[in-house]
Amino acid sequence: MEGSSYQRFPKVKIRELRDDYAKFELRDTDASMANALRRVMIAEVPTIAIDLVEIEVNSSVLNDEFIAHRLGLIPLTSERAMSMRFSRDCDACDGDGQCEFCSVEFHLRAKCHSDQTLDVTSKDLYSSDHTVVPVDFSDSAAATGEALDTKGIIIVKLRRGQELRLRAIARKGIGKDHAKWSPAATVTFMYEPSIHINEDLMETLTLEEKRTWVESCPTRVFELDPVTHQVMVVEPEAYTYDDEVIKKAEAMGKAGLVDITAREDSFIFTVESTGAIKASQLILNAIDILKQKLDAVRLSDDTVEADDQFGELGAHMRGG
Amino acid sequence: MDPQPEPVSYICGDCGMENTLKQGDVIQCRECGYRILYKKRTRRIVQYEAR
Repeated sequence: MEGSSYQRFPKVKIRELRDDYAKFELRDTDASMANALRRVMIAEVPTIAIDLVEIEVNSSVLNDEFIAHRLGLIPLTSERAMSMRFSRDCDACDGDGQCEFCSVEFHLRAKCHSDQTLDVTSKDLYSSDHTVVPVDFSDSAAATGEALDTKGIIIVKLRRGQELRLRAIARKGIGKDHAKWSPAATVTFMYEPSIHINEDLMETLTLEEKRTWVESCPTRVFELDPVTHQVMVVEPEAYTYDDEVIKKAEAMGKAGLVDITAREDSFIFTVESTGAIKASQLILNAIDILKQKLDAVRLSDDTVEADDQFGELGAHMRGG
Repeated sequence: MDPQPEPVSYICGDCGMENTLKQGDVIQCRECGYRILYKKRTRRIVQYEAR
């Protein structure tokens, strides 16, 4: 152990970035780091969500608990969440919505006066804080060609005479507490495959054999050059580690035709956000939180600063 | 605990008439004699955790 260093300098390359979607490469690190990042994004990046509902009047067909649960699941814009306090750590109040540091108050009043069904949606929620409002999906709905008059997320439908009146308190929280606080719709990573075709062995195949072998792959990873009749790797990342081509080669009596290994230090991440925060911000916040957690380990009483393991871990993080 | 138990109003399951019942009263509609009465929703605010 003495003298050996495991310090690495991970690299990130962004491939695609939209408000609610990100695709990037994470290189020169290991699966523990990639998985830690993935898990932090899902369960530990804070957002704001409705946590307490005070119902004044509810004559709708849905019961109070049902409506309260639905309100909790509505994503709220949470750029402020990182700088907000958890209501349990808040000294200024007891989290009843009176305090600007840890809670946001919402009001909803809806009554149906016509013979037509009234849709009560997230647009009917009035926020006490203009920075924390229900996520607006009208942009993305317009982009995908959906109805332009999309009116937010439907909470309940009212018929003539029915009424819903309530006050809701939104608080900061994390996905580990309840999934409604998770800012991530999906976070996945895959190992980058490295695919090597044994050219000499490949040339022993007839054109027809090559074609059937290329077609045995369920995803379009390989392609047959129409001119040179050579098999090429066109889309290595389409490979799903299904082993179909390897089994096919064995069945053809050509074991070792292709060698496919997962690179253990390269990962391709796909991040989808619920809209509470931007995908890019989600990644940055996750890295911040991961650092904070490592600081907590480093600074804990029973950890010796010069400790081999944590010293290296710290160096690893500083490098990243 | 309460100084005076306030009478609670119920709705008849048959004719829809509002009945006020006190403790010990017979559970029966004053209008039509139907014996199924429904309690009205509280006028108080009720609190729920959104989980």
